[in-house]
Amino acid sequence: MRAGTVLRTVWLIVAVGSMLLPVYAMLVVASAPDDTDLRGLVFNGFHLPENIGLLFGEGNLPTYLRNSLILCVGTGVLDVIFSAAAGYAMAQLSFPGRRVLFALVVGTLALTPMVLVIPVFLIVKELGWVNTFQGMMVPGMISAFGVFLVRQFALGIPKELLLAARVDGAGEFRIFARMAVPLLKPALITLFLVHFLAQWDNLLWPLIVANEQELWPLPVGLANFQSEVGFNYHLTTTAALVTAVPPFILMVALQRYYVAGLTFGGLKR
Amino acid sequence: MSVLGGGRVRPQAMAGVALTLPVAVFFVVFWLVPFLAAIYLSFTDYEMAGTPNWIGLANYERMFADPGFLNSAWITVVYTVCTVVPTIVLALLVAVPLSKPGGLNRRLRALVMIPAVMPLAATSMVWVIIYSDRGLANTLLGLVGIAPQSWLTSSDLAIWALVVMVVWKSMGLFVIILTAGLQALPGEVYEAAAIDGSGAVTTFTRITLPLLRRTLLFVLVISVAGSMQAFVPAFLLTGGGPAEATQVLPYYIWANAFPYEHMGYAAAMGMVLLAAMVIVSALQFGFLKGGDE
Repeated sequence: MRAGTVLRTVWLIVAVGSMLLPVYAMLVVASAPDDTDLRGLVFNGFHLPENIGLLFGEGNLPTYLRNSLILCVGTGVLDVIFSAAAGYAMAQLSFPGRRVLFALVVGTLALTPMVLVIPVFLIVKELGWVNTFQGMMVPGMISAFGVFLVRQFALGIPKELLLAARVDGAGEFRIFARMAVPLLKPALITLFLVHFLAQWDNLLWPLIVANEQELWPLPVGLANFQSEVGFNYHLTTTAALVTAVPPFILMVALQRYYVAGLTFGGLKR
Repeated sequence: MSVLGGGRVRPQAMAGVALTLPVAVFFVVFWLVPFLAAIYLSFTDYEMAGTPNWIGLANYERMFADPGFLNSAWITVVYTVCTVVPTIVLALLVAVPLSKPGGLNRRLRALVMIPAVMPLAATSMVWVIIYSDRGLANTLLGLVGIAPQSWLTSSDLAIWALVVMVVWKSMGLFVIILTAGLQALPGEVYEAAAIDGSGAVTTFTRITLPLLRRTLLFVLVISVAGSMQAFVPAFLLTGGGPAEATQVLPYYIWANAFPYEHMGYAAAMGMVLLAAMVIVSALQFGFLKGGDE
């Protein structure tokens, strides 16, 4: 029994250690003074602050970072608002078209982006939104996942509670804003986090719709970074590290919601 | 509702319509219309500059005579199988001991989240450097006396370089999901098994795996779907090369649609990818649900 525990601990440390090795290598290369040493095993001084300073002093990293923040926070907030409204209504209110809308949401969950990007691009082109922020933001603004998540969560709101409010004479919108939204808060935080992380990592759509560098978010910027910094490997790694920091901060701050977002769908019995 | 009488239903219906209207409009404009348009385009010869002409099944016939498509389809199958199986097995091997209570495990669980929370684009750039001539991969090979390899520029190795990165990246994610699933399992069953003198292996195969079925199905479905749709690793690490060795189907579809503007043909390949995904998901559900009593 005791030997088993020791073995288990050793295995876990080895396994988690190897999972962290690439992250460690990233830190080492991102802190390197120049491009000569990419082995990533031992720190060759700690030049991370200078490297970050270099990237922010010249080059487009600040622009990419700003664009990503606008994209993620902007669409994240809108997704939370619209999904909260629709998810709550679909769970708790009876209205015509409820079933059709739910079928539409579930259908969207099953769809691959590669099927949709071609016609969505043509629609965005028709609207004159190519190379604009709204072109990058609007098509990904609302996620089927969000509506579905809020709906599942809102099904758990006790009907009696809403009924009592109605008997007291509260209007439907007031009930939604004052009673449902506070009760839905954990789901809405989870949704914001999931949406933010997905958008932060979205390469395909901005790549297609934005060909002006001024508009690029980080993933597109990173894809072109090598040529931008003259195939400078250690500065590219520093840029990758900078890209990884905001999601990491969010994850640490909202760890509980992060796991909830990931395991959604996997645990219900 | 009828208890309250008809007068109460109307404001509810109005509120319901009002609250769902933005989402309904959004889904029609950015999902339903594009989906129908994609089906239509797949039967046309649409190129960005011209007008779509109906050509019936010609795109679908062309696909099965197109070496580029057949190559991509095969690479996608290999890539999917070779990422999904090791990822789930390895994630399970880490998640089972990691789900046990304990201070060290709690700390390790927090560390496992780091690879999972790394953006894929950033991860890909880091692995480009790991796979570079003087990078970490060759350093580690050197420690065991193997000559350096050109990971991303050798047509034999490049696909495996992608596979290793993706296994690493998604493993972190699945360890978290599986750990949460394992921690949600009822403790009494394990106590009963321990009283009956059940060994570790028997407990795992007879109790843990069957109880974990739902979480496993979830992990399997999202990892197969993720691998079949994977675009970013091939785009960022290899650009589909060398010599089309990493040209997975989503990459081939994107390349046909955007740089080359063969929208009709790309739409048809998108339909085939979608059909394949629906069939594979249905098989997985059938396979894992079939075992339930």
